[in-house]
Amino acid sequence: MLDYVGLEADLDSEERMVRDTAREFVEKEFKPIVGEHYIDGTFPTELIPKLGELGFYAPNLDGYGLPGLSETAYGLLMQELEAGDSGLRSMASVQGALVMYPIYAYGSDEQKEQWLPEMGTGETIGCFGLTEPEHGSNPSAMETYATKAGNEYVLNGSKTWITNSPIADVAVVWARDRSAENTPVRGFLVETDRDGVSTNKIDEKLSLRASITGEIGLQNVHIPKENMLPGVSGMKGPLSCLTQARFGIAWGAVGAARDCFETAREYATDREQFGGPIARFQLQQEKLAEMATQITTAQLLAYRLSELKERGEMTPQHVSMAKRNNVRMARDQSRIAREMLGGNGITADYSPMRHMANLETVYTYEGTHDIHTLVLGQDLTGIAAFE
Amino acid sequence: MMKVLVTVKEVAEVEEDFVLDGTRIDDRFLEYDLNEWDDYAIETAVQLAEAGDDVEVVSATIGPERCEETIRMALAKGVDRGIRVWDDTLASVDLLDVNAKTEIFNAIIAEEEPDLILTGVQAHDDSFGATGVSVADAAGYEWAAVVNALDLDADAGVAHVRRELEGGVEELTDVELPAVLTIQTGINEPRYASLRGIRMAQRKEIAQQTLDDLGLDEGAVESQITLTDMYEPESESDVELFEGDADAAAASLASVLREKGVGAQ
Ligand SMILES: Cc1cc2nc3c(=O)[nH]c(=O)nc-3n(C[C@H](O)[C@H](O)[C@H](O)COP(=O)(O)OP(=O)(O)OC[C@H]3O[C@@H](n4cnc5c(N)ncnc54)[C@H](O)[C@@H]3O)c2cc1C
Repeated sequence: MLDYVGLEADLDSEERMVRDTAREFVEKEFKPIVGEHYIDGTFPTELIPKLGELGFYAPNLDGYGLPGLSETAYGLLMQELEAGDSGLRSMASVQGALVMYPIYAYGSDEQKEQWLPEMGTGETIGCFGLTEPEHGSNPSAMETYATKAGNEYVLNGSKTWITNSPIADVAVVWARDRSAENTPVRGFLVETDRDGVSTNKIDEKLSLRASITGEIGLQNVHIPKENMLPGVSGMKGPLSCLTQARFGIAWGAVGAARDCFETAREYATDREQFGGPIARFQLQQEKLAEMATQITTAQLLAYRLSELKERGEMTPQHVSMAKRNNVRMARDQSRIAREMLGGNGITADYSPMRHMANLETVYTYEGTHDIHTLVLGQDLTGIAAFE
Repeated sequence: MMKVLVTVKEVAEVEEDFVLDGTRIDDRFLEYDLNEWDDYAIETAVQLAEAGDDVEVVSATIGPERCEETIRMALAKGVDRGIRVWDDTLASVDLLDVNAKTEIFNAIIAEEEPDLILTGVQAHDDSFGATGVSVADAAGYEWAAVVNALDLDADAGVAHVRRELEGGVEELTDVELPAVLTIQTGINEPRYASLRGIRMAQRKEIAQQTLDDLGLDEGAVESQITLTDMYEPESESDVELFEGDADAAAASLASVLREKGVGAQ
């Protein structure tokens, strides 16, 4: 397995064990079934509790039955899951970084007690509702709103492109609180079986097919006022969750690219044309050399990001750079791997084209590539291009 | 209180392409992993611990420091603590034979006094396939080999086992404790270590012991077996693929079998 400059040799024993367990699980339980799920446009939902049993949801958090692993161990987990499929990593990212994290960081004790243990085991599934039909890259312009009525909040609005909303038990919905001064963005825990909640599925995606995506419709949905996340107000709420998830994506992209590389390397050494393996041609070797180099430099960025996160020195801009670079790298390299597989490369029997199509989503969600460019531009010049 | 001892071994797996260096295979071509059979033995022990009120599971291995990760994986799956035997004498031994392993495990058994010992049927690398039964004999324990189903009645001190014999025959036997069972693959479905388990395993004890600690000396690991040669046997294989639908393929198969003399009067 590609680890060209031996970064994994410096992992501690716990981190290596996490990597090995995740790798073995993906190899044996997930890879054999992902092709069919991809074609059918389904997620293997029977794995959801299994992933929980293994502790794959928010393992970097502590307490509430969660293991509290290092950030590197968490990153390695995301890397191995995304080597399986971006849809598998998305499942873990949404549950862990986008739903459990805000409850953990901003929830009341009651909310934590109620939700974290059963979300950790996968008994309860969560989703994260930020994007709206008219507001994607600029979520602060959101229209979804809450109004206070006695001991309740009443929610109205609609969210779209929400991973797992059709199968979720609870949604973290970000909405403007119209009853408060300056209508700040607040987080609300909305059980999906409440009156007025609808979660239509989005079909016919051509990317991230092995992942369930839907909308959240909110029509006069009454929730107890205790369902608001008390600890955060403003865009910092959703953005800080996204920082957590993007950290995992920076690692995950390395996994997807590595899986493409390994598939291409194996194929090139096996496939014979003109009387020998195609890997003996300089053109093919150049592709492998470039792929390995790109993956390795992205891997270095991911490791450094973990160190900064562990020390509490990681900034959202660091994460923007890593998400931007690593996902672009994986998107470009998956295409090269696909091309090395010739006609076989366009089938679901091999992973590169599936990864390639998935990475179009990964390039777009959690802040598009362009938006991360603007974040970096602002950080480097002091001038925001998006305001 | 019941104590279960599981013997585990880290085995070498040889890569597809390798080079022989005298009677050894160079380390470059080896990968180390938990012996497959032992994974089933660990699962059996952990299931007993989960089903009983007061069951301690201890794993024992003979091997260098490198093996700690393998043992830790067992701890992550629910084994309570580990024992690893190693020292310079063991490191200098070329071939650790069944007698040597028996002496070492016997010394551990004398100290731990387990009620039940689970071993794999065999080790994937040297495949002596004898350690479990040999240990039982030396320790004066009852035994059952190649166990593929276990129903333990701890109160009565009896293990009801099903054993896999040659030719698809199975045998049901009752074995009185204390006993050694050599565990066959397929007896259960070994679990993955959970990340919570991996975390907890970092805090579990792996006690390192030397031959001296166990009251043994060099004599215990001297072997009457020497490895004289290692080579790759020449292999020849002919493959004939039958094409067409089931009828056509069956007809071709029948004529090949007839040619080979199968079913001739
Ligand atoms: C499969 C999938 C799953 C998703 N899961 C979730 C989820 O779980 N929760 C959630 O809340 N959201 C989710 N999303 C939504 C995702 O985050 C948005 O699609 C993303 O933020 C982009 O928004 P948009 O699609 O509205 O595109 P737009 O914002 O309309 O962007 C269109 C194009 O314009 C560019 N652009 C926009 N603004 C600028 C600018 N200022 N300067 C230059 N270029 C600009 C963009 O880069 C892009 O190329 C998911 C999306 C997909 C596809």
